[in-house]
Amino acid sequence: MSTTPPLSEAEAEPGSAAAVADRPPVRRRPRARPRAGARARHALLPLGSLLLFLALWQVLAVSGTWSETLVPPPAKVWDAFLDVSTTHDGVRGYNGTYLVEHLGTSLRRIGLGAGLGIALGVLFGLLMGTVGWVRSLFEPWITFLRTLPPLAYFSLLIIWLGINEEPKITLLAVAAFPPVAVSTTTAVAAVPRSLTEAARALGASRWDVVRDVVVPSALPETLTGIRLAVGVAYSSLVAAELVNGLPGIGGMVKDAANYNNTPVVLVGIIAIGVSGLVIDALLLRLERAVVPWRGRTSP
Amino acid sequence: MSSSEAHETRRTGKTSEAGGVSEAGKVSGVTTSGPLPNGVEATSQAANGPVRPESPVRPDDPVRPDGPVRPDGAVQLDDVRHEYGRGRETVAAVGPVDLRVPAGEFLVLVGASGCGKSTLLRLIAGFEQPTHGSVRVSGAPPRPGTSAGVVFQTPRLFPWRTVRGNLDLALRYAGVPRARWPERRAELLARVGLEGTERRHVWEISGGQQQRVALARALAAENPLLLLDEPFAALDALTRERLQDDVREVAAQTGRTTVFVTHSADEAVFLGSRIVVLTRSPGTVALDLPIGLPRGGGVDADQLRESAEFNALRTEVAHAVKSAAAA
Repeated sequence: MSTTPPLSEAEAEPGSAAAVADRPPVRRRPRARPRAGARARHALLPLGSLLLFLALWQVLAVSGTWSETLVPPPAKVWDAFLDVSTTHDGVRGYNGTYLVEHLGTSLRRIGLGAGLGIALGVLFGLLMGTVGWVRSLFEPWITFLRTLPPLAYFSLLIIWLGINEEPKITLLAVAAFPPVAVSTTTAVAAVPRSLTEAARALGASRWDVVRDVVVPSALPETLTGIRLAVGVAYSSLVAAELVNGLPGIGGMVKDAANYNNTPVVLVGIIAIGVSGLVIDALLLRLERAVVPWRGRTSP
Repeated sequence: MSSSEAHETRRTGKTSEAGGVSEAGKVSGVTTSGPLPNGVEATSQAANGPVRPESPVRPDDPVRPDGPVRPDGAVQLDDVRHEYGRGRETVAAVGPVDLRVPAGEFLVLVGASGCGKSTLLRLIAGFEQPTHGSVRVSGAPPRPGTSAGVVFQTPRLFPWRTVRGNLDLALRYAGVPRARWPERRAELLARVGLEGTERRHVWEISGGQQQRVALARALAAENPLLLLDEPFAALDALTRERLQDDVREVAAQTGRTTVFVTHSADEAVFLGSRIVVLTRSPGTVALDLPIGLPRGGGVDADQLRESAEFNALRTEVAHAVKSAAAA
């Protein structure tokens, strides 16, 4: 956020309306005020854009350009949200499951699948980053895997693993694996030689260097990879729940789409997006807590 | 930062007034059971000897190599040459160099930048093998981590660890039993004048303090040899002088063999008990000069720097460096 440069502050006429309305006491604490203002702007801008979006949506829906099946008005989607979150007319949520439970089931799948993929990714990344031939051996395979859309191998997973939890979790794991493996490999390979040498000069064994220098040094990049991986897993969710996905938020979307139930589809999409935002924010917070030294290179 | 500045300021008065005495008293306080008389620096040092609470040799401690029959840190270079690259790209960096550094000597390698003095130090540290000739430390080929403690041009601290964490790592690698870490940590921090910074992140402290931590870290293993590669080049003049005082003091206290690389004639004369000037690349010995300036406890660093003898030597070395670089 751009804070007003001090120059313009000095230039502003002391009595002018703009100067008074904008920041009267700025002169005393020229730093604290703009920062608070910037923070408010950070919060207000997304909120404003959301309101604008809702307004445009409403206008578009009532204009009658498209049928209500294609573009239901926001109120309808809100009703659908209430429907799938409560018991109404003896029907419990959507298909006997509340929205929260759909979401919970999906999050559990993501937790298991992405968790597995991330663990393997870190392991492979460490190995590939430290041992040259392991990298040569696996890197093409991982790149190959990375470029495949999850749908491409989902059919294969169903043939191999059936239609229950196994193919879904495997798909999420396969989707989450490459980003972590690639970022960890790169980070491990880029560990500053000055630091590994410093550790060796202190008497560190090879294993000591990996544990005390390589791993913490690669951690910021690995965490970025993990954030990417969770994002990829999230975007593969609907694909993973295409077959026998109920309960599950992706399954709900797929099922509702079969019945042209656009409001529920939208509720599902919004639920996936919002929970994704929340999880990313949590991961970002985790990252800040775990790697406070990020960006602070040791001279 | 403000506390670090206060700290640095406190150290300024070291040799002239009470600040220095209390500093010395603190160093001693860590290592002895009772409080020391608040006497002059020399007295407290004499009472204490080398700042070390234990006897130099402890049978239960494998990493205390400075006992009488332990490795002594003597360095021996025989016809050492080192080249970088291969084939037509080969660049001779150093040599041939023949050099003997007896135990306890403070050798300073001086030369213009690019003359191969850092390479020579890396060979002594065991980070690289010479392409010709042999390097021996304490009678054996050098091994990183066991034959020498190293302070680099930059601190090279681990940013994910605090000051304390950095020292703990060094103590662990040195094989010091965990129970003795707090005591040794306090001792090391006191020796480099960094008491009270244990919990700070290494990026929160000043460059001078970082280099002090690096020095403390290099001292943790108590290797018989200490190697320093232009460790103060990036620091401001005032901080540099203070750290020079400290290094001189540490070397005098511990009696450790030290090899110090610098391009500054001033630094070389102040620190060294012997100065070797290297020619330009590939570096060979141009001048080998013993320095007879007083060493050990009670030497006033500022008086020494102002003495006629010091300045005469400094001029001599500066001339030698210049002509060696031009030759």
